[in-house]
Amino acid sequence: MIELQGLTKTYDDKDVVQDISLRIESGEFGVLIGPSGCGKSTTLRMINRLIPLTRGRILLGDEDISHLKPETLRRRIGYAIQSIGLFPHWTVADNIAVVPRLLKWPKSRIDARIDELLDLFHLAAGEFRDKYPHQLSGGQAQRVGVARALAADPEVLLMDEPFGAVDPLTREVLQNEMRRVHERTRKTIVFVTHDMDEALKLASRIAILNAGRLVQYDRPIELLTQPADAFVSDFIGKADLGLKLLSRRWVNQYQDRARTTPDAASGRPSHYWETDATGRPTCLHGGRLSDGDPEARTAVNDEWIATPGMPMKEALSRMVWYRVMVLPVIDESGRLIGEVSMDGVMGRQP
Amino acid sequence: MKRNLPHGRDALLLVLGVALILLVLFMDALAPLFRAAFPQLDTAVYARESFLKLTLDHLALVLVSSLISVSVGVAAGLFVTRRAGREFEPLVSALAAIGQTFPPAAVLAIVVPLAGFGFVPTIVALTLYGLLPVVQNTIAGLGTVPTDTLEAARGTGMSATQILWRVELPLAMRVIIAGVRVSVIINIGTATIGSTVGAQSLGTPIIAGLVGDNIAYVIQGAVLVGLLAIVSDLLFERLERRYRFGS
Repeated sequence: MIELQGLTKTYDDKDVVQDISLRIESGEFGVLIGPSGCGKSTTLRMINRLIPLTRGRILLGDEDISHLKPETLRRRIGYAIQSIGLFPHWTVADNIAVVPRLLKWPKSRIDARIDELLDLFHLAAGEFRDKYPHQLSGGQAQRVGVARALAADPEVLLMDEPFGAVDPLTREVLQNEMRRVHERTRKTIVFVTHDMDEALKLASRIAILNAGRLVQYDRPIELLTQPADAFVSDFIGKADLGLKLLSRRWVNQYQDRARTTPDAASGRPSHYWETDATGRPTCLHGGRLSDGDPEARTAVNDEWIATPGMPMKEALSRMVWYRVMVLPVIDESGRLIGEVSMDGVMGRQP
Repeated sequence: MKRNLPHGRDALLLVLGVALILLVLFMDALAPLFRAAFPQLDTAVYARESFLKLTLDHLALVLVSSLISVSVGVAAGLFVTRRAGREFEPLVSALAAIGQTFPPAAVLAIVVPLAGFGFVPTIVALTLYGLLPVVQNTIAGLGTVPTDTLEAARGTGMSATQILWRVELPLAMRVIIAGVRVSVIINIGTATIGSTVGAQSLGTPIIAGLVGDNIAYVIQGAVLVGLLAIVSDLLFERLERRYRFGS
């Protein structure tokens, strides 16, 4: 748990962070967001005392961080930054091992931890342990950066625009991994970004900052549906509010039972799935966006599917792209477990 | 870290190194050659002292002065790049620059009356002369360490000392070594002037040759100094290569 109480930072008589109070519970994914110069990075860097605070208090658990030695505090807090800052003269393994070594873990425990973290980020230990940072792609380097931050199993993870410098595709992948890692580790995370879509995708709570002040601190859905003022609604952007809401909804919230036989009783045009012997969907009867012809058969391909954990925004986007009214929802082994449809999206309160 | 080594450089180092050792040990064997080239000379090969002794004395001058230059220079460079010493940076840089602008011969002229003839004034002159590249490159090398890397190092909870030893110095090492390289090479050449104030070195046959109009002596001293400088330079080049981290 992290609590900021009346946090203020003054540079040359100017308050760059003014009286911010907020609390991020254990296991929460807190995002600080706002336009550049709003004080979000400064706030983050006061938490691990890279920047001294001017007034106020920061509690880590029930300890006031000003009572801890900065080095001790930082070894308890993971820190990942946009530029990554991997140590260029050390291998991936050495980079990840930094904090455990500072904490004097035994070598066997450090080695096991390195492999565990590389595995968590789907980096093959045999291939990556002994690579140097200059041999990594941007996405790989950023994964190693986050792995380094997690190495000593810190209570809290601070991330300062960690995916700001990678290309949009890699960013998307890294965001998905971050969500998965957060679900697996249940770390308390404080994440700084200026990208609202990123915040909506990752956050369990979002703090919007403007000119050094906290404007609103809420769950993403409340932020979208009940913005505190005009600044917040402008910052969120009204144009694609509906899509933004769907980015906070998951396929399993809209999942319906999938029919595998024609619905003869209703008499209305309907659709149904064909599956193979293992239960994988192979083909859709009817349900096309263009005509609704109940006899039309459309083959299911690898991308034309949804998974229970997929954001609804993405599922909707796939429906539009493949021109179908409905997507099969499959489990990890590829078996049909349900479906999501346009009707389902429209028929429910977002 | 495996790298493709430039084999040409290593082969050159080997050939010149062997040539240097052979010349130092067996300069006498070239006597017929020198006699043939300079028939007017009474003695064709410098013989008042063995070339081995001259070379070792020369190396002693370079080694002692370089050790002092490097320790003082790196220490000064470190000091002015720490928070406490930052204000002194212009002063230290200026002092080091003056040390190099001052010709070693002039330093000798000042130091000899104070410290007498021989080894000591030569060491003083060489040390002052070799200081600038070390100080400059230490400051520059520490300056090349990316601020992101330093920020990450602080963020992981390393202490200032740990950051210096584990991150800053290894990353600055290549540039620092380049400075030491320049300093040592300059001093290998400059140490010859020590012979004008009685410090024995490879400059001794050169001076003797100039005074006694014996061009063979001059060549023998000069060739050895030259080879010594080139071999040291190639050795430093190898050392620098070990501190390249993919950039």
